[in-house]
Amino acid sequence: MITPRHGLMLIAPLALVLAGFFLVPVLMMLPTSFGEYVPGAGLAKGVWTLENYTRIVTDDYYREVIWRTLGLGLFVTLACLVMGYPLAYLIARGPERWRVPLILLVIFPMMLNLVVRSFGWIALLANRGLVNNLLIDLGVIQTPLKLMFNLTGLMIGLTHIYLPFMVLMLVAAIRNVPRDVESAAATLGSSRLHVFTSVTLPLSAPGILAGSILVFVLTISALVTPRMLGGPTYKVMATLIYDEYMQLLDWPSGSALSFALTFMAIGVIWLSSRLTKRWAGMA
Amino acid sequence: MCHALRFATTSVILCIGFVAAAQAEELVVASYGGSFGEAVKACHVAPFEKATGATVSIKLNNSSQTAAALRATAGNSDLDVVFMDDAFSAQTNNEGLNEKLDRSKLTHGADIIPAAWGKDDSYVVTMVSATALVYDPKVVKTPPTSWLDLFDPQYAGKYVIGDISGTSGWQFLLALNKIKGGSLDNVDPGIAAIKPLAKGAIVLYTQADQVISLFERGEVVIAAWYPNNAAAAAARGLSLAVAYPKEGAVGILPTMVIPKGGKKLTLAHKFVDQVLSADGQKCFSERAMIGAVNTKVTLSEKVAQIVPYGETLKNVWFIDPGVVAKNIPTWTRRWQREVAR
Repeated sequence: MITPRHGLMLIAPLALVLAGFFLVPVLMMLPTSFGEYVPGAGLAKGVWTLENYTRIVTDDYYREVIWRTLGLGLFVTLACLVMGYPLAYLIARGPERWRVPLILLVIFPMMLNLVVRSFGWIALLANRGLVNNLLIDLGVIQTPLKLMFNLTGLMIGLTHIYLPFMVLMLVAAIRNVPRDVESAAATLGSSRLHVFTSVTLPLSAPGILAGSILVFVLTISALVTPRMLGGPTYKVMATLIYDEYMQLLDWPSGSALSFALTFMAIGVIWLSSRLTKRWAGMA
Repeated sequence: MCHALRFATTSVILCIGFVAAAQAEELVVASYGGSFGEAVKACHVAPFEKATGATVSIKLNNSSQTAAALRATAGNSDLDVVFMDDAFSAQTNNEGLNEKLDRSKLTHGADIIPAAWGKDDSYVVTMVSATALVYDPKVVKTPPTSWLDLFDPQYAGKYVIGDISGTSGWQFLLALNKIKGGSLDNVDPGIAAIKPLAKGAIVLYTQADQVISLFERGEVVIAAWYPNNAAAAAARGLSLAVAYPKEGAVGILPTMVIPKGGKKLTLAHKFVDQVLSADGQKCFSERAMIGAVNTKVTLSEKVAQIVPYGETLKNVWFIDPGVVAKNIPTWTRRWQREVAR
């Protein structure tokens, strides 16, 4: 049994790193988010305002970007779940000798740099990219499909990048479902489908939720892929924040948007952990 | 055993490296990348290192990244000399981040055009480029003469313009705005005019060299772009020509700034002096296809046709960098909301 004192010691190294390199810098950004930026002159000294936050709510462009970001997070999570679950099930319950090769296949894309992978998608999805060229050569379409700088491009790119996270979480969860319980259900006359829907699926719910939270939070905060596949016309929150900071040099506005994004992520995590508790209570 | 040996060798090499680094002074220069950065290395860094014995390490940044870095490290910058577009140099100067240039330390200072000096010598313009029209002469038989030629229906779906995050983006917006009767305080006419053009553009480019592959694959035949990038691509065999619109191209002025609080002021001034020298400027102009500010430089015929020079230079619109710095967030926000949406 681990005593609280020992527990503290165990988490101390990570807690210190997080506090020093994450929490403190984030808190240092807080005053900036209430500051005022004067274009051409810089940050106004001694001026405090809530405008950076109120603008996020009142400006319909910001609202559009926020909804787009949340929608993207939801769609990517669903896509990862729908595609990831069968694969995870196969890895967890399929033939033993398939397990290692399949897991390697899942992990393999993660060994490539994010920028390289996104560039790969550009080569595939661009107007004169491989996909469009092939379809035009086959006579399926006349003019190139718009696969980039829109929701389609971001969905494809982000789903590909975050699918491994979902699969790995699900594999662990499905493997944790006791086979005895499934066998018991089968013995009592359940069909295979019924066993799956009423035993395996609910018992793997914690894994589904953990994987979904992970993918959702990673998606709404992704920067590199949206910058490359979304371009200047299809902005999400992360790229908007980058622009405010690096292009407009408006740090107060960028900080306020960052906090808004952080609170959205925390809100989602809080909501889903409540959901998990309720599900677990039912199971 | 093998590991120990390797470790020992590495340590020795590292130690030698540190000793060497301690002996030679190091100057950190922030520069744009691409053909510009290559030309900085060849024409300025190499002779500078030879003359001073110092080493130069180059950090590749665009203007806004450099400005952000200067603000983040205010008064204690790890950069010794930086290249930035004039609007950003004006911005950082207003924030008190620029060291006043000491003209007495710049032996070539007297040779450059007087207009090159920024307010209170807070920066110095090092070269002259522009946003102009670039076209593929194999397809476009009559060279374009006006910014409005981009609206010509024969180029529908075959042209490209820049996003406002790049210099050519806001410069073309302002050029169009001026033609349509707007002013720097009122960009409504420009925004209204550019909206359909941006919608019909094959893409809004965010990196200058993105345009090269568009021309290469024949996706575009005309662009609002940079003559120097076009010339560099043409030198590699691409079919490209530069046209200066009759309403005037828009001037781009890359400047140099010495960040405030620098500890290597003398060395930094020497580097600025190298960039302003006639030899350095001539080499840079010929290589990067950018106009010079040193009056002692005569450009070759080939370069003179591409860079703003003589008649075309007289016609170039140079916009007050202070006004640009003050307005660019507003222009960008309007662009995001009304043009690119």
